[in-house]
Amino acid sequence: MKRNCMMLCCLAAMTLLVGKTLGQERPKSETFSKATPPAGAPLLTGNSKSTDESTSPQGADRTEQARRGTKSEPSERAEGEQRFRENCGRCHQPPHKFPPRVMAAAIRHMRVRALLTDEDMRLILNYMTR
Amino acid sequence: MTPPVTSPKLKFGREYRKPSLGMAMKTLGKTIPGSVRHRFEVAARFAKSLIRMVRFETLMGLAVVGAFFIVSAGFAQEANDQDAKPIPILQGSVALISDFTGGQPDIHPIATPVVLLPIGQRWLFETRATFENDFVEVPGRSGFHGGPVQKEVEYAQLDFVANKFMTISAGRFLTPFGIFNERLYPAWIRNLQSDPLILPIGIGPSNASTGAMVRGGFQARPQFDINYTVYFSTVVTTTPVDSDRFAGGRAGIFVPKARLEVGASFQHLLQQERSNLFGFHAIWQPTALPLDLRWEYARSKRGSGYWLEPAYKLSQLPFLQNEMRRTQLVARYQEFFTGPAVSDSLPPVHTKQFEFGANYYFMDGLKFATNYGRQFSSLGNVNVWTLGLTYRFVVPLGPDGSPK
Repeated sequence: MKRNCMMLCCLAAMTLLVGKTLGQERPKSETFSKATPPAGAPLLTGNSKSTDESTSPQGADRTEQARRGTKSEPSERAEGEQRFRENCGRCHQPPHKFPPRVMAAAIRHMRVRALLTDEDMRLILNYMTR
Repeated sequence: MTPPVTSPKLKFGREYRKPSLGMAMKTLGKTIPGSVRHRFEVAARFAKSLIRMVRFETLMGLAVVGAFFIVSAGFAQEANDQDAKPIPILQGSVALISDFTGGQPDIHPIATPVVLLPIGQRWLFETRATFENDFVEVPGRSGFHGGPVQKEVEYAQLDFVANKFMTISAGRFLTPFGIFNERLYPAWIRNLQSDPLILPIGIGPSNASTGAMVRGGFQARPQFDINYTVYFSTVVTTTPVDSDRFAGGRAGIFVPKARLEVGASFQHLLQQERSNLFGFHAIWQPTALPLDLRWEYARSKRGSGYWLEPAYKLSQLPFLQNEMRRTQLVARYQEFFTGPAVSDSLPPVHTKQFEFGANYYFMDGLKFATNYGRQFSSLGNVNVWTLGLTYRFVVPLGPDGSPK
């Protein structure tokens, strides 16, 4: 009896947690505005990486770009494509593009499985969904 | 002769009385005001009485729930910026592999569906199952005959992305020892359809662990990323989801400029011989060539060995470019050395194996694979042929967000 009560309590707590997590989701428009800052705005901070593919095709000057701290949409796409090839191609044939919400689930899976960094995940998702 | 009437309960043990709140208060009430040390002792006795009132399982349950709340609340403010809300998806692969080992044909259909269930912005439930069968020729009967379909849940884990440095996973998960089991195992990913000889080292009896894992990847310096995994597995004896009791970890460094990843794995077995296992791995994709080079080494008390696998895509050839860019040549050389302890899943003698083959990608996800190899051991040398067709699929289980 006591064990059943504990099980019920645990289940209730888990349900509350899941509910709370779902409740934290922001409206899509809000997240969209956060994920895509306007061109020219500071985008990469902290441990972020950046590369200009035209000058360093294999990601040589990530530091230089990060120091500059600015990025346009095309360069972010190029950066995303490069991360995609570096990371996804390490284990398997890089897939074609998936629909945005499918890719969002797959990239979360890959974050866990392939230990993608936060920045890799963001840039690859950006590249694969636009 | 009448044996003396004794009460073992009174003689050898003390009668157990379930502590109650009243007892605890009584304990507190007996205190005599004195030194600070004495007060501490009284407080400790009171706490002990209270703790005895609840059962161990209750405490464990509360601890787990509390930990979830703390972790959840602690990182709730760090929202992960995603412009597309993930939906549940069903993905996986189906494959039809036929191999001829030592002249014995074997048809091996296999389906491995993976269900991904994202919950909110930080949680993911993922599970992979395998349905497979082996069709072999039975003497005296025509055609191929298979037994019952083997079913297995390879992993079922709940992941919580705590922050950009750490993800916490719990449940049944693929043991992260080396790279093959966790990253290269599915039929649509692997370049050669046969398993490396050293695959059973360090991954447990059913290729998976039951317990918890902390892992993550982050950019340590602008020049390289670091990834790590630390895990603990407990004993499960229910077949086919059995697992051993061990703890271990894996760490790797990835240099994007050189496209080179090197890493090491360690595991300590907490049962049987309580031995240590370790391994090393490397993946290199030279930037000038469409070449993948993978290498893995593992050592345990039950044996050690390595494999080296180059795979070259013919995309640089100047003729038949449409076909060549879909074609990949693969080879693998591997060697296994026996250890002081024996294992059912590892070769019983020193074994060498060389394989080479080709993969042809008809389209994204559909691959034809063939390879030939020869195994050398004191038990006899055998040929290994493999032919296979693999298909990887992705099915959204909801509106996928594609533009109408």
